[in-house]
Amino acid sequence: MLPVRRLLAQPRFPSFSLARSSSNSSHKRYDVIVVGGGHAGTEAAAAATRIGAETLLITQKIQTIGALSCNPSMGGIGKGHLVKEVDALDGLMGRAGDYAGVHFSILNRRKGPAVWGPRAQLDRSRYKEFIQSELLNMPRLTVIEGSVEGLLVSAADPEQPGKHRVTGVRMADGGDKILCSSVVLTTGTFLSGSLFMGRTTSPGGRMGEAPSCAGLSHSLKEVLGLKLGRLKTGTPPRIIRETVNFSLTQLQLPDPQPTPFSFINTHTHCKPEEQIPCHLTVTTPGVDRVVRESLPVNSHVQQDTKGPRYCPSIESRVLRFPGRQHQVWLEPEGLNSDLIYPQGLSMTMPPELQLRLIREIPALSQAEIHTPGYGVQYDFVCPTQLFPWLQLKSVQGLFLAGQINGTTGYEEAAAQVPVFPLRACGRGVNAGRTALSLPPLSLSRTESYIGVLIDDLVVHGVTEPYRMFTSRAEFRTSLRPDNADLRLTPKGREEIGCVSQHRYQEAVRVQQGLTEALSTLNSISLSPPCWREKLSDVGISENKSTLISGEEMLLYTDVSFSMLASTFPDLLSPYLEFAERIKIEAVYRPHCEKQQREMERMREEESLSLPPDFDYFSQQVSLSNEVREILDRARPSTLGAAMRLKGVTPAATVHLLNYVTKTDRKTRGK
Amino acid sequence: VNWQSCCVRCDSSVSSAAGPVDTIYALSSGQGRCGVAVVRVSGPAAGGALRSVAGLSRALPAPRTALLRSILNPQTNEVLDRGLVLWFPGSLPGLRPAEAGEFTQRAFHAGKLDLTEVEGLGDLIHAETEAQRRQALRQMAGDLGQLYNDWSQRLKRCLAHVEAFIDFSEGDLIEDGVLNQVDLDVPQLQMEIENHLCDERRGERLRSGVQVVIAGSTNVGKSSLFNILCQRPAAIVSPIAGTTRDIVETSLDIGGFPVLLSDTAGLRDTGDCVEKEGVRRARHMVELADVTLVLVDSTQLPQEPPMVSGFLREYLMNVLPSGNNYKQQRLLILNKIDLLPKEHISAIQNVLTQTSDLAPVCILSCHSREGLERFLTLLQDRLKTLCGDPLAGSPSLTQTRHRAHLQNCVEALNQYYQYRNVDLALAAEGLRLGLSSLGRITGKVGAEEILDVIFRDFCIGK
Repeated sequence: MLPVRRLLAQPRFPSFSLARSSSNSSHKRYDVIVVGGGHAGTEAAAAATRIGAETLLITQKIQTIGALSCNPSMGGIGKGHLVKEVDALDGLMGRAGDYAGVHFSILNRRKGPAVWGPRAQLDRSRYKEFIQSELLNMPRLTVIEGSVEGLLVSAADPEQPGKHRVTGVRMADGGDKILCSSVVLTTGTFLSGSLFMGRTTSPGGRMGEAPSCAGLSHSLKEVLGLKLGRLKTGTPPRIIRETVNFSLTQLQLPDPQPTPFSFINTHTHCKPEEQIPCHLTVTTPGVDRVVRESLPVNSHVQQDTKGPRYCPSIESRVLRFPGRQHQVWLEPEGLNSDLIYPQGLSMTMPPELQLRLIREIPALSQAEIHTPGYGVQYDFVCPTQLFPWLQLKSVQGLFLAGQINGTTGYEEAAAQVPVFPLRACGRGVNAGRTALSLPPLSLSRTESYIGVLIDDLVVHGVTEPYRMFTSRAEFRTSLRPDNADLRLTPKGREEIGCVSQHRYQEAVRVQQGLTEALSTLNSISLSPPCWREKLSDVGISENKSTLISGEEMLLYTDVSFSMLASTFPDLLSPYLEFAERIKIEAVYRPHCEKQQREMERMREEESLSLPPDFDYFSQQVSLSNEVREILDRARPSTLGAAMRLKGVTPAATVHLLNYVTKTDRKTRGK
Repeated sequence: VNWQSCCVRCDSSVSSAAGPVDTIYALSSGQGRCGVAVVRVSGPAAGGALRSVAGLSRALPAPRTALLRSILNPQTNEVLDRGLVLWFPGSLPGLRPAEAGEFTQRAFHAGKLDLTEVEGLGDLIHAETEAQRRQALRQMAGDLGQLYNDWSQRLKRCLAHVEAFIDFSEGDLIEDGVLNQVDLDVPQLQMEIENHLCDERRGERLRSGVQVVIAGSTNVGKSSLFNILCQRPAAIVSPIAGTTRDIVETSLDIGGFPVLLSDTAGLRDTGDCVEKEGVRRARHMVELADVTLVLVDSTQLPQEPPMVSGFLREYLMNVLPSGNNYKQQRLLILNKIDLLPKEHISAIQNVLTQTSDLAPVCILSCHSREGLERFLTLLQDRLKTLCGDPLAGSPSLTQTRHRAHLQNCVEALNQYYQYRNVDLALAAEGLRLGLSSLGRITGKVGAEEILDVIFRDFCIGK
């Protein structure tokens, strides 16, 4: 019998000894089963639970739930946007970061609020502690340990698109069958994962843990006929802290005042003065030599599986850009950890060469390795086979999230969750939507980075592990980290149903405060001489003769909201808590308004859905053969997605649109 | 446009929950010399537009049924023409069709030609004159496409470097110096596009024809000159002042350049209300003209040669619109010299060579055809300046559409300087807007392409 554990209400951050087995789960039917306890799995399970679904999370080891398997940090440029958005939808990640962070900083501070990158170094054990305590205390969520061997598949519901229907999972070792309406697979690097170090290869998804999912790979490939691809990634060796000569490095301090990730936190768990620093050093020509020497005994590097271009191993960095100094960040693994994570030294050479390599760096000349680095190669499911709500087009009830879709990074994994539960649960908003035959909800590129991420995945697929960048978002000036709550929390509450009342009310309060503050600012309108008198340091142009409103004054770089508030204390001081946000809103508003039309157009294109079983070779729709093939292969869900495909032209979309609206009208007429 | 027949076709749009969409209009048939013109209006405001130009106070016409109406200027209620109007309700949702014709789109999406090349091909089919044909050939060969693509590539690289600086610089080895190159490249690019825009509409003119207008007092021989130029008696010629009352137009090939030639009513104060309207139209044509041929009856010139230049100056002022556009070309033509004694002619010529501030002068006789050769050479020179030599220098701007996008691009690039040191995200937004304006000519540049440049040019470590 599998150990079935469910933690009842406990004081915060309990230890695991408190987890206790509940009774037999095998005859119970769940709304949602989530397979995998990584960042995607925990967010998926938590979101399903928040919506009201009876949920089961299956993981190989409860102990590794919430583990940070690679870098001890989260957020950054682009990734920080995702953390804020996951938080705005009431996810776990932002609050976990606030609890576990030991070094907070906002990257890109000088480059404009749209591209600020909130980031934190994390204490691994605190992070895990937070996630586990949240999950194991959730009502309607059961967590069990075990390995899933295969999916239970039946004939598809003929009313819905798809060839198969998933009805549950089969546990390994002759285990039980567990029935459910929806399955979410979040197996990360474990799908046919293999680990590489030097010339040795062993099956697995993470060092020190059992391999898994051989049967699952079979289910996906052979039974469901899905197209899989293979990607690789890697992790650096961990170094023993006391063997590092920090005096030869450059000190990197955190922000003096840490900024929390979560919109509902006013401060971080770690006090400002308790934060710990990072250190920066660089590679030497000796490192290049060791890399070249290691090549014959480094099978991971020789493989032509695609690895990320932006998080390359030291081997590929040296090979692509030889003769350069490469940065190495020495990051603490936690407040009380003895280990250092050398960001930038991901490598797969044999352990003895790894040691020689790091010792070529002066600050590490005496360093000892605690755990060597290694590479991972794993299967992913080509994400073009997914609907934008992350359900497989060919399998009813089967959802995929996280690295299995070809992404890399904790934040990217966590961000793939909040849109999934649409059809997954029997009681949420989505059941109602399905009954009305409305298309399931998904987030759009026009409202979130989550929408950008998922749209990129399902429309274009991946050729390398996908990471978020701000340059991927066409509406970057509107999709800022500061306004993620205003963009997503109301929708999360009203349409998806995954946001708590408490958080929703806070977002509404903020929205009202900002609106009031801006209209109060607009009610203050003075002539340039009056403003010069009140704010003598601001260089208002001499040519300016019209009245200037308070909001317009904020367009001047050196005017802050608090300056205005001290000039008009009666009117403005009630809004001081929003000072920074008001300033950002005022500066960005004209630019966002310019984007509005383009955003509306895109939304409209996205609102026109294309039937999943559409016959693109039908002679009735006038398309070129190339376009027919592109569309048939990609099967875009909406006209908007079709337009973003490479090779699909405006003319083709106009024909497509004509045809679809025509047939649509006919069917409705019936 | 002097439509012989006109057809307005309106499509309403399915209004959508997502909010308003654009209403767009276009002359769907060719420009200038078509017998029938079709104007298509599409979008949510199409119904309103149709009602106001067709003078329909309330109801729209029955769907898909042609209705003969007077076509009105909605502001002045002036009748522009009579024509058919057609109403197609809800035929197309509010999608903006691609800007060029369907032919363009198809060739474009087949990947055989880029957008400017397809347009060149379209022009080639329509090209009627040698210079037009040469320009079209040159565009089709991709000269213009190459120029725009080159700008697009360079701007893409600038943007990629700014994006790299935004997405990677901290913690990666992207030096601040990256932006220095961008700071040099953006103004350079902007300058090149501006220079291209400053070609005084040469390419466009060559494509759609140079407006040449004959103007002057009554009975100076305007219609005679018109008939000589089109080599047929297109306009009625009589000794009665005020014979020509409306605009008479024809299209011609002069020395390989396309010309839209107009004959106009003689300018004079008159009580006749029809002639009055003719004079108003004549003045309006002169305002629109690229070249005005100001005709003078040389028998009306003052007898004393020194008075001639003053007379002509006043005459020009009367014919040409006040605040005359300095770019407008004009030729002063002294007609009917066959009626003057030889000595008088040379006296006038003498005076004119000493006066430099008048328009270039031709002395000719429509009757005896004396001086006509020299006049044609002079006119051809004007046309060449206006249209440019399609084979020399950089390719010219041939489409008004291109001009609009290039202007938007230049403006967007200003945003880069405005925010360069304050907010790099907003500065980058300027480059993005500029690139997307260029992309509307050459085809879109997606985020993946920007990332490709980033990863090619930088070693990204994190």
